Amino acid sequence: MFLIAKLALKDLTFQKVHLICNVAVLAGVLVPLLVLFGVKNGVYDALIGQLLSNPRSLQIDTSGNTEFLAADADEVRGWAETGFVTLKTRSQFDFVNVRRKDGRQKRDAILIPSGLGDPNLPEGLALGDGQAVISASLAEQLDIAQGDMIDIITQAEDRPRQLLVSLKVVTVLPVERSSGRSVLADIAVLDLVEAFYDAYALPEYGITQGKPLSQRAASFEGLRVYANDLTQLANLQTRLEKRFGVRTEARTADVQGVLNLGRNLNLALLLTATVASLGLAAALIFGFWGEVERKRHVLASLALMGLGGNRLWLFPVIQALISAVLAILVSFALLWIASGVAEQIFDTGLATQGGLVRVSMGQAVIVSVVVFVFVGLSSLFAARSALRIDPATVLREAAT
Amino acid sequence: MDFAGHQLCINDLTVTLGDGERRFTLRSGQWSIKGGEVIGLTGQSGTGKTLLLEILGLLRAPGGGSYYSQQPDETHHFDRYWSGAQARALCASARARFFGFVPQSGGLLPFLTIAGNVALSQEIAGRIDPDWRDHLLYHLGLEKSAHLYPGALSIGQRQRVSIARALAHKPFCIIADEPTAALDPENAHAAMQLLIDAAHEGGAATVISSHDYPALAQFPMRRMGLEITSAPQDNHVVSELRPLADQVVLKGTR
Repeated sequence: MFLIAKLALKDLTFQKVHLICNVAVLAGVLVPLLVLFGVKNGVYDALIGQLLSNPRSLQIDTSGNTEFLAADADEVRGWAETGFVTLKTRSQFDFVNVRRKDGRQKRDAILIPSGLGDPNLPEGLALGDGQAVISASLAEQLDIAQGDMIDIITQAEDRPRQLLVSLKVVTVLPVERSSGRSVLADIAVLDLVEAFYDAYALPEYGITQGKPLSQRAASFEGLRVYANDLTQLANLQTRLEKRFGVRTEARTADVQGVLNLGRNLNLALLLTATVASLGLAAALIFGFWGEVERKRHVLASLALMGLGGNRLWLFPVIQALISAVLAILVSFALLWIASGVAEQIFDTGLATQGGLVRVSMGQAVIVSVVVFVFVGLSSLFAARSALRIDPATVLREAAT
Repeated sequence: MDFAGHQLCINDLTVTLGDGERRFTLRSGQWSIKGGEVIGLTGQSGTGKTLLLEILGLLRAPGGGSYYSQQPDETHHFDRYWSGAQARALCASARARFFGFVPQSGGLLPFLTIAGNVALSQEIAGRIDPDWRDHLLYHLGLEKSAHLYPGALSIGQRQRVSIARALAHKPFCIIADEPTAALDPENAHAAMQLLIDAAHEGGAATVISSHDYPALAQFPMRRMGLEITSAPQDNHVVSELRPLADQVVLKGTR
């Protein structure tokens, strides 16, 4: 087999024009398809990236007057579509005052329930008792840094004392991950604020007047749920509404629009690739077949000398596969040039996100393997033809 | 290689081509050829010279008879190779090992140099011997053309390369089908002489076909002729191989 491969390679490099033609035929089909595929990836990934960069794209909020219990949150947490779930307190109690511990300046900020798995938080960050995450804006205005202590201060009209809860800032969210002034803390902190507004005594915080906390039945106004990924958003929303009989708010329409665009682009690409592949298959099959016919005397000479026996079919297959490897290399080189030109012409600003024309390494490997197999299969007709060559041809016909 | 005691034995090989209405049958008769011996096979066009060489060269299955290579320590029944499932592979392997072919017009590989073409038969047979290759190229006057490709050579030079290639792997039998048909008389004579000399030097049994009986008659060799023996109006044409009268036995073959 090694000798057949060596001879096939020598023949291929000897007739460079034919090799160039074969590579050009392959690259002529591959490059436009790769550019289309790359543009689809680039545009679609940019849109998806924009959606994913904002966790609100995955967010579903219940609305209306419905009571939720901790058990309800646990149930939703167990659903496959759910990425993160938290209970919500009544929204009028979400706003609090914040200051750095012992600081003089105060700013109002929104208090947001959060916890491990919240897509608003850095991945893997857990919020324990007495911990908080704050937005960049709040940190800048109050000169707060990671590790600082902050006071959450709230006051109700009929209560003689303020509620003051001290929390340690475990991280400050970057500007692109937060907007406005916000404090993210465990739902227990928000529940405490709500109990304060509901006039319960909170002796641990120096508030001795009020109803005993033991009389309080903890219930919540709503749920905030984040889907595992964008494709689960619609399913999760429908399931939530059915299960709890509530209305919900989410960016489902925007997300579905982008997902549908991706599906349609995939379909268009698949259709184009299928038609191109059929044409390419015909070109390759007849091209390789023609090559075998053209090299009939060469193959017959090899068979006459006893080379290969039943393995002479490898000769055109090896040549086809070598052509495929070269065509793949040429195609990706041209794709790289085309993507650079496209970036210059369209000035999409997507360069930092991977460019307008984007093909990942994994996709490139898959495309290469598919092309390699495709070309190999296309050469099988030529292989069959090579196997049928009669070595006596050399004796009966003038050669070379 | 030492081919002392080697011989090819042909016993009543027959092959029939065609359909019921018009058929052609070739009958080889009984004969054998020893190492170093040269047989000139002659006959008019259409008598089956190439067909017989195809059978001898394991390129076509005989319809009947037996054909084997007899050596002091082993016998290869070539006619039986065709009955197995691996017939094609067996015959190819035997061709590489036992036979060297000189076709009518070169049959060289255009993408290999002259040296590469000659070395290839050694590689296929697994008998790589650069010294013998160089000796052949020198002996056939090709040493200065060794780096050239066949396309750069004249027809006469190509035919000499073809002879070198057929001898390079030291086969037991050289089969040359009209090796001088494409050459002018001067080159034809030279090529024939080279083939006979080289075969004699290498000790190979050599079968040379030619429709040109006078050309064969110029050389010392044993001659056999194919002749149509059926009636002219007969739809079943029969061609039979017969020894010709003025046999010349080469020195050292008996």
